[in-house]
Amino acid sequence: MYVKFPHGAAKRTDAAAAAEVLYDAVIVGGGISGAIIASRLAEAGKRVLILEAGPAEDLTLRGYEGYLDRFYASADKDNQAPYPAVSNAPMPRSTEVRRIFPGAPDSSSYIVQSGPFASDATYTRVLGGTTMHWEAKTLRMLPEDFQMRTLYGEGADWPLTYEDLAPYYNEAEREIGVSADVEDQAYLGITFDEGYVYPMKGLPLSYLDQMVAKDLDGMPVELDGESRELRVRPFAQGRNGVPNPDYDGGKGFVPQAAVSTYQVNVGGRCQGNNNCVPICPVQAKYNAGKTLAVALQTGRVDLVAQAVAHKVHIDPQTGRVTEIEYRRYDRPDSPGFTTMRARGRLFVLAANAVENPRLMLASGLRGSSGLMGRNFMDHAYLLAWALMPEVAGTFRGTVCTGGITDLRGGRFRRRQAAFGVDIHNDGWGWARGAPMSDLIDLVDAGGRYGESLRQGLVDRVSRQLQLAFMVEVPANPSNRITVDPAFTDHLGNMRPILTYDIPDYTMRGVAYARQLSKRIFARLGAEDHTAYDPNFFGYVVYGGEGYEIRGGNHLAGTHMMGHDPSSSVVNADQRSWDHGNLYMVGGGSMPTVSTSNVTLTIAALCLRSSRAMLAQLDADSAPIDVTSNGQGRLQEVTR
Amino acid sequence: MTASTINSRDDLISYLNAAIALEHGTLPPYLTAYYSLHPTTNSDAAHIIRVVAVEEMLHLTLAANVMNAIGGTPDLTRPGFVPSYPAYLPDGEDDFTVDLRSFSPEAVETFCKIERPGRAPNENARLLPKADDTRRVLISSPTVEGMRFYSIGEFYAEIIEGLQKVAAGDPGLFSGNPELQVGSEYFYSGGGAVIKVTDLDSACRALKFIADQGEGLDSGLYDADGELAHYYRFRQLQLGRYYQVGDHADEPTGPSLSVAWDDVYKVKVNARLADYPAGSEIAAAVRNFNAEYADFLAMLTKAFGGQPGLLQDAVWFMFRLRDSFNRLVRNPLPGGGGLHAAPTFEIPSIAGSDPHAARSSGATAQAVTR
Repeated sequence: MYVKFPHGAAKRTDAAAAAEVLYDAVIVGGGISGAIIASRLAEAGKRVLILEAGPAEDLTLRGYEGYLDRFYASADKDNQAPYPAVSNAPMPRSTEVRRIFPGAPDSSSYIVQSGPFASDATYTRVLGGTTMHWEAKTLRMLPEDFQMRTLYGEGADWPLTYEDLAPYYNEAEREIGVSADVEDQAYLGITFDEGYVYPMKGLPLSYLDQMVAKDLDGMPVELDGESRELRVRPFAQGRNGVPNPDYDGGKGFVPQAAVSTYQVNVGGRCQGNNNCVPICPVQAKYNAGKTLAVALQTGRVDLVAQAVAHKVHIDPQTGRVTEIEYRRYDRPDSPGFTTMRARGRLFVLAANAVENPRLMLASGLRGSSGLMGRNFMDHAYLLAWALMPEVAGTFRGTVCTGGITDLRGGRFRRRQAAFGVDIHNDGWGWARGAPMSDLIDLVDAGGRYGESLRQGLVDRVSRQLQLAFMVEVPANPSNRITVDPAFTDHLGNMRPILTYDIPDYTMRGVAYARQLSKRIFARLGAEDHTAYDPNFFGYVVYGGEGYEIRGGNHLAGTHMMGHDPSSSVVNADQRSWDHGNLYMVGGGSMPTVSTSNVTLTIAALCLRSSRAMLAQLDADSAPIDVTSNGQGRLQEVTR
Repeated sequence: MTASTINSRDDLISYLNAAIALEHGTLPPYLTAYYSLHPTTNSDAAHIIRVVAVEEMLHLTLAANVMNAIGGTPDLTRPGFVPSYPAYLPDGEDDFTVDLRSFSPEAVETFCKIERPGRAPNENARLLPKADDTRRVLISSPTVEGMRFYSIGEFYAEIIEGLQKVAAGDPGLFSGNPELQVGSEYFYSGGGAVIKVTDLDSACRALKFIADQGEGLDSGLYDADGELAHYYRFRQLQLGRYYQVGDHADEPTGPSLSVAWDDVYKVKVNARLADYPAGSEIAAAVRNFNAEYADFLAMLTKAFGGQPGLLQDAVWFMFRLRDSFNRLVRNPLPGGGGLHAAPTFEIPSIAGSDPHAARSSGATAQAVTR
């Protein structure tokens, strides 16, 4: 069934009128975190305002196809290719990253990079946020990922355990609509409730996965005295598949298809298109617009878009947030804006792990622990590429269906980083721009055309195998987001400055990953074509060897949660230690990024936090003293 | 009341064969209009046609399930299964023409006629003599020579009554192999779930669903699941606005929609192979399409014959058909006065036995689909 976005909802809330309302919660950001929290608060009868930095457009199938058209027409097929570049709410773009030379930070694009490592990390600032371009892998974290300090002396411990989060993983898997089979996903300590099944059945492994598995399964690996056997395993995915009739005690599951203001029928099931990233052509892949639309249907959620949060205002006596000042731009393509404010009983920063601390730091709120913006984490990706000995059907299936998860955890994490391995069905796309680079080479260097060109392209790409090693990066306070008034965007908002280096712990994992890739290729009889370019922006030399390291857009750590206010920014509910009515939610709360893509865990954390918010709203029923600047009067919202 | 034209299981099988062919017979016209739209234009029109086409595929599957349930064998490869266009459908007393043509006001008018609910003014008018016996009316009675139905709704009403009657006298009617039923794990349409048919009740539900969603006897704008009926989906293109729940039939109040009638490849109406210059590349492409389409029907026949998993392979096969369709409609027809090429849906007679036997040599699709 399609998800109905209320017609006009992106524009109907008058920002000036909204400024006179005391909302139960003001949420900054219309991505998955903000959408989930808005939906849960509204469902409980609370009144919510969402501020969204991106353009104020209803989510319609036509609008979505505008994204698709932009993507198809774009020469660069990067993560942001489908989405409009709005200078009032700029987005980082991987195509803009440059190599950083010592002493020369790069401020040429939105994120000012002071290095020494240049990251191509991106996030998408449109309604639905980065889930518009995400790949939709929905791995649960391992139980050991929550206790890295205790178990392995590396990184930080969570104030939560896997068991604490497990019920919210279940709920997140329902919200996102995850396709997987429990028997494939229960490994390295991951457990499921008795009788649990995923909402939809597992998506099949691609032909390429099966070709790899044929020779790889059973490959022995000895690491830190533990031996294990590798195998190709399907990933859990936030893409619609065959509903599992056994779900929810036999009630089954209804997949959420495309979002629109009018009845449409696409996206109920994945069709195997090959560009999940940066955009699913049919919306079989979850995007947060699906949750947002449901939240807006309640009538208790107001949305003001083209609204970029500028400053968080604090009552100096109580430390509580009084209002969020934002700049509402009139048009995406012109610099005019109006300063507005939003008031609520609770405030929720749900931008992302870069924008959340950026806003706090730009507001002069460094946090009593001094950790605001520190401990920036992402995954460090190492790619290795080869040609299979025979045609392996590369470019069939979605971007990634299977991989190797056996080295996500284990005792070796005392010494070196763990990783997951993706088998990429899009060949050498990420590493070397396939198939476009192959096409250009066949035409320019090979003089091919017509049938010979078509056949040549098939011959070249259908044996490509690319392994992506997603290596964990532990928290390190010197990896951080800061701001500087010298660097502002078109609206006068301070831009994020990223200081980032890849720790040796991670590089030991990277070096091991490269060695393992050679063994895997040898076992498969695949011809290794991996060659790392010293001019690549993310070229890192470690142990005498050079590697290309890429970002994963799995941003985390910058407002880490913990038990202790002196060593964390938020508590286990993602509530600020310093500001009692402020929640900072999303990847920034995660103390470890470990080896799972972050979105499912973010969703689970936000579902958990929405309970805490409801409890707090019900407990703090006394009205808050809010300065109203002498004009207008606050109106309590009826509930 | 006129006597029932269905008196036995064999009569039912004849009718269900006609129903399967009817549901399929609307697809070539819908697909021709759909693929004639210029890419990136006419999103509203494209999705409305697409939804209806996909739901006709659901109806086809439901009719096949009923057929299998009573022990018949759906066969989409039999000669004459794909109609020769123009074909004719009844709109009450009169017939109208169903053409393979580009998206256009005429095409939308035809689609509205196909999907317009039509109840006969009285029971005696359900079956009418054919005006012109040479015409291939898609819902002729398979058991009474020279008669055709007043409307598609009446055609299905006849089958439902026939089922009830035959089932009453034959407790073993629903003795088909349940393994042949296609369930929702194999078929997905977005609008309405496939129903497995095991008895009279599920058979009637399946057929009533077809009639209600599609060309039935008018059960209102929306069905129980909130799905808009086909006729009203097409009416939106004529009225320039989407319906929303609670609307009156003449006055949709949802978001507006727009149609760019000129952003369309104009194809030759009801093109035939004979219209393509012999030996030309484009003639080979048409033959290739027709052969692929024959392969596709053979695959569906196998899917309905006990291999429902093949319906998942049918998904990529439809992408292949899409590419072959586009290869034609985006190229002008030599000597066609500016009109473009289009598939002719003339199915080679040897198709079905060996999926590769019918494919013409030198087919242009080979390189990319290997």
